[in-house]
Amino acid sequence: MRKFVAVVKREYLQRVRSRMFIVTTILLPMMMSLFGIVPALVLSINAGGASRIAVVDQTGKLYSRFQSALVEEEGIETSSGMPNPVRNLPGVTPPRTDLPNEVAIRNVSAPSRSIDELKSELDQQLRNKEIDGYLLIPPDIIEGGKARFFRGNSSDFFISRRLRNALTRTVREQRLIEAHVDPAIVRELDEPVDLVATRVSTTGEVRDSAAGLAFVFGIGLIMYISVLLYGQVILGAVIEEKETRIAEILFSSAKPFTLMIGKLVGVSFVALTQLAIWGIAVASLGAYGISVLASRGMPATIPRLPVVFYIYFVLFFLLGYYVYSTLYALVGSIVTTAQEGGQLAMPIILLLAVGFYLFLPVSRNPDSTFAFWVSLVPFFAPITMMMRIVTQTPPLWQIALSLGIGFSTILLFTWLSSKIYRIGMLMYGKRATIPEIVRWLKE
Amino acid sequence: MVENQITVRLDRVSKRFGDFTAVDDLTLEVRAGRVFGLLGPNGAGKTTTIRMIVNINSPDAGTIELFGKRIDPQLQDRVGYLPEERGLYKRMKIVDQLRFFAELKNVPRVVSEKRIDEWLERLKLTEWKHKRSRELSKGMQQKVQFIGSVIHDPDLLILDEPFSGLDPLNVSLLKEAVADLKRAGKTIIFSTHLMETAEKLCDDICLLNKSKKILEGSLRQVKSSFGLNTVALRVVGENGLLNQSNLISKVEHHSDETEVLLRENADPQELLKQLIDSGAVVTKFEMIEPSLHNIFIEKVSEAQ
Repeated sequence: MRKFVAVVKREYLQRVRSRMFIVTTILLPMMMSLFGIVPALVLSINAGGASRIAVVDQTGKLYSRFQSALVEEEGIETSSGMPNPVRNLPGVTPPRTDLPNEVAIRNVSAPSRSIDELKSELDQQLRNKEIDGYLLIPPDIIEGGKARFFRGNSSDFFISRRLRNALTRTVREQRLIEAHVDPAIVRELDEPVDLVATRVSTTGEVRDSAAGLAFVFGIGLIMYISVLLYGQVILGAVIEEKETRIAEILFSSAKPFTLMIGKLVGVSFVALTQLAIWGIAVASLGAYGISVLASRGMPATIPRLPVVFYIYFVLFFLLGYYVYSTLYALVGSIVTTAQEGGQLAMPIILLLAVGFYLFLPVSRNPDSTFAFWVSLVPFFAPITMMMRIVTQTPPLWQIALSLGIGFSTILLFTWLSSKIYRIGMLMYGKRATIPEIVRWLKE
Repeated sequence: MVENQITVRLDRVSKRFGDFTAVDDLTLEVRAGRVFGLLGPNGAGKTTTIRMIVNINSPDAGTIELFGKRIDPQLQDRVGYLPEERGLYKRMKIVDQLRFFAELKNVPRVVSEKRIDEWLERLKLTEWKHKRSRELSKGMQQKVQFIGSVIHDPDLLILDEPFSGLDPLNVSLLKEAVADLKRAGKTIIFSTHLMETAEKLCDDICLLNKSKKILEGSLRQVKSSFGLNTVALRVVGENGLLNQSNLISKVEHHSDETEVLLRENADPQELLKQLIDSGAVVTKFEMIEPSLHNIFIEKVSEAQ
């Protein structure tokens, strides 16, 4: 036992103290948040400020409705106004300032002037970059006439779609008014129905299915990340003694099984430490986010799941983590260098991916025979069994069986790899062939 | 310890790897408190034998006893082993590695701290205590490895080519340490193919060749059993006589004298007569025991 502790301690302390650990612990969440934040930032960048759009409303009655439709559609912030590109035009309404940031529109309708005259003037403004585009609403728009939008190079590609949506709405409402239907009633009628999907399990419990799915997906993701990150570490840890030629000293001091399981446990503690740090960071950020949302009157809650789910979560996460770790250890025990190990470890990633894809068929039919069998396979159990537990909890014996098979597999793999490790270490510099491994195992 | 106690006993031990027999029906005894030389050419089975003694491999046939008991993992704590293939964790501090090795041998922390300091002091490594091993030269690393094998004060110490790659200063440092351990009653198994070193260090030897034992006994016995068949010679003007003489099987020129191995039943007096008759001036003519080196070569080539 003391030897086991010594190995665990060494593996743990060596790694947690390493610069690599500190760097990844800090850097990875930063990278992840960068990946999340940067696209959002980039999309929200509006290099030229608000798009200035002049609107020629030839019907003479749609502008204000159009304006409010546009505001309602985006309706968050207001612009501080736009330069008045058509200042000299007669019959112009004063500039409005309550439009969404991205678009500033301006009514340039002038019944007294011909459309061609207006158009040439607006074209000139467009060329001078005084406006970014102009919208021509023809007099027959209500009867199905085509509105036209002219835009300069500088204007936002997304603008036309937004203008079209707002205009469609405006015209639709106008048509209703002309048919003497109150648009308010129509809006009410148009309100979409909320469908709350609730699953009633065989035992009669009512549960939030979506939260459950997200939960399982979360497990899958965390497992995936930790296997990808730590598989390589395990591989390295097992190869380390071969590369440093220290294995023989260790084997003359402790049993290979003790060494191997000590390594696995030591590295897993490193992984858990890192995940815990990230977990706490995410949780506190999440709590902060929720409180911010709540303060703005947008209540957000953490999905409520039965406590037993969290227990299963821990069990199946550990199961998944160790199954894949021991696979990596097995690879590490066969190869002699880290590069070789990297190649041989490819199928492990594939296996992990397959487990992830099984997510879908199992979520559709959690009670099927197929779901039953795949949830017993240790490589897939963490995702598929969790999926079944969350959607339609299978009998306890199935869960226990799945866990039992899983943890026996872990022990078997550990034993196998310690055995191969011990014998393989006696042949430095040469990767074992399959027949050799079979022969070693018989020893 | 009692003089005639046996620390290691191998009884008809064999070990095969596939079709290859690494150790064949080996029986040997290592007496307590002695330096036992396990000698032989490369590939003779020395390392495999040692690995069985330290319980890394188990024999296919035969039994191994340590300290009068069948080997088991507990006994590993009483054995120190410096393998020929050895290394250190590159990124670990010296003191941490030594602590780790001590823990693996169940040494209490208080004890190991003291021993680490003593040994580092003794092998002149104190200033390197908190350095990582990749910062150390190969020779220094080797000394650290040596400390690792004695940190738990083992009753049996097994050293496989411990001096390879060390400068003379460090060799003598380690030799002194080994001599001290012997004085403290420890049993030492020393494996090498360097006969000069073995000759100076070993009390008993066992010569392995092609997985079999071909010679064993105390150094004294072995040497005298080969009899006085070597002549140390200093001669001027022998004119190639030594190379032609039918009395001589081998001539070896050293810097200031010549060693001549006589054929079986050849009379050394006859050789002396031949030399004097040829007009050569003989300033030294001494019958000596054969060197371990020569015994080794003779026995190994005999077995080919």
